Amino acid sequence: MAAPSAAGLARRLRAWVPRLMQVRWSRYNPSYLEPEVNKELYQKPLEELTEEERAQMELKAVRPIKAAPPTLSSSVFRDPMISKFTNMMMKDGNKVLARSLMTQTLEAVKRKQLEKYHKAPENEKETIECNPYVIFHQALKNCQPIIGLSNITKGGKTYQVPVPLKDNRRRFLAMKWLITECRENKHRRTLMPEKLSQELLLAFKNEGPVIKKKHVLHKMAEANRAYAHFRWW
Amino acid sequence: LDHGYGLPTAAKECLSSIASQDVPTPQMPRAVFHTSESDPAKHTEQHEGRHYNIPLEEVKAVFPHGLPYRFQQQIQTFNEACVMVRRPALELFAYLRSTNFAHPAVRYVIYGERGTGKTMTLCHVVHYCSRQGWLVLHIPDAHLWVKNCRELLQSSYKKERLDQPLQASVWLKNFKTSNERFLREIKTQRKYVWGKRESTEEGRPLGEVVEQGLARVRTASDAVGVVLREIKQQSPRGSFRLLVAVDGVNALWGRTTLRREDKSPVSPEELTLVHNLRKMVMNNWSGGAIVTTLSQTGSLFKPSSAYLPQELLGKEGFDALDPFVPVLVPNYSPREFESCYGYYLERKWLQHEKARTEDGKAELQFLSGSNPWQLDRLAGPL
Repeated sequence: MAAPSAAGLARRLRAWVPRLMQVRWSRYNPSYLEPEVNKELYQKPLEELTEEERAQMELKAVRPIKAAPPTLSSSVFRDPMISKFTNMMMKDGNKVLARSLMTQTLEAVKRKQLEKYHKAPENEKETIECNPYVIFHQALKNCQPIIGLSNITKGGKTYQVPVPLKDNRRRFLAMKWLITECRENKHRRTLMPEKLSQELLLAFKNEGPVIKKKHVLHKMAEANRAYAHFRWW
Repeated sequence: LDHGYGLPTAAKECLSSIASQDVPTPQMPRAVFHTSESDPAKHTEQHEGRHYNIPLEEVKAVFPHGLPYRFQQQIQTFNEACVMVRRPALELFAYLRSTNFAHPAVRYVIYGERGTGKTMTLCHVVHYCSRQGWLVLHIPDAHLWVKNCRELLQSSYKKERLDQPLQASVWLKNFKTSNERFLREIKTQRKYVWGKRESTEEGRPLGEVVEQGLARVRTASDAVGVVLREIKQQSPRGSFRLLVAVDGVNALWGRTTLRREDKSPVSPEELTLVHNLRKMVMNNWSGGAIVTTLSQTGSLFKPSSAYLPQELLGKEGFDALDPFVPVLVPNYSPREFESCYGYYLERKWLQHEKARTEDGKAELQFLSGSNPWQLDRLAGPL
């Protein structure tokens, strides 16, 4: 009984190739489950689990689990947005360098804000935000465009048509603009953490070149309002 | 809950609602990690693990050089200089208090793994001695004298030796800032001729030799040699106590990365500064003490796992320093870790909301392994 089912499972789990080749795809068989990193879930006693969680736990006993990527950790300090930003800053797969640049940037932001905090008079102390994570998230939120432009060809001519953007696309654009701005428009001798910390603080206050770029995009979309009906989705 | 990336804020709210150990720890009372006793002479075991405050003017006067770079940045950010009182420093104070100044100077070697606080212990000892009124000869990092030297001049005093004008003048400037009083009181004991038209007569204050070294940078290394020699000769008389504090003493007996113009390597004894410092670290004078630190971090041609005196000093250095008192600096004990953590919280250095919880503290302790340097690096971005 065991031998045929084992062979069958092995056959099914070996190099599984989908019928339709996709652009971004995974070689894992669909029966593989994602690894669960949340510590609190395992510490909950059985009675408190909801129906889906109980079903999930039972499934884990029989299904194989995918290998956890190196960036996935159960650390309480893990922030997926910061990981994504670090990956975008990475060049040639040098994650060590990208991560150290990120930590230096956060430290630089914190130092600047703390210096201002300690020198400010008592009544202004509450207005100064010292948490680098809050500043990072708020700055990215401020840089996200609401509406984007897309090229649509109609009658031989290409028009720039205003188009709503998905959440993922907005986040990507904000991060991409921030990184390109820091890579290109800086003095040869300024280091990345220094420049990035400056840009993050400016974006936090809704100033700076990245916010300007977002406003320019919004204005172009507003100007091309007439072509909005070219969009068919 | 799958990846958490899709909706970061929503995921965070989800996690925080399942509160098991998410309760933020209440602020610990200041007395746990801070003491108001700012005189190192009065520090005892009851102050162990606590931070004491050094007034900023005193920091500028006593430490023109010598504090680690990260600590200097910390002073600037927090607007105060707080040093932790730890057991190796208290041990050294006990030894220094009971020294017999008629006997030859005892050598103390502070050693330990990377990042455990050897340089900070040395700075604590320097502060103690300067408060007691000793003359402090503090060499911040001997490794800087055996590498990265742009200008090597042939010494005019001895043909085979090499001078380092830049390093010598920088050190003289800092020495002047920290020991003004002694430079007026100590007088030279013989005439020194610097060139065709410059000389210092007998009986002139030592400050003039320092001025000469700063004004004529070519003679700076020889000026350093003269200063060291005069201080060493006059210390047995008992008018002042001398502390020789050298950080990274293993540089004096290792190898250098310097080369002459004909690309032949330079060994440390061919450098004037190193030659004179080696004489200073010998125990053939009395009236003071020699406190040194071993350091792998700036060292040349030594593996990064080496931290014991025999490994870092080599045979030559160990024989030269031979009867010495070793002082081990360990990682933070649990009490010291609590103190450091509480200090960071109080100064608002740990800003992450999870860093205030028990889970966060346990994670910091585990990741840093209670190593002070690692903890500092980890707490930086948090």
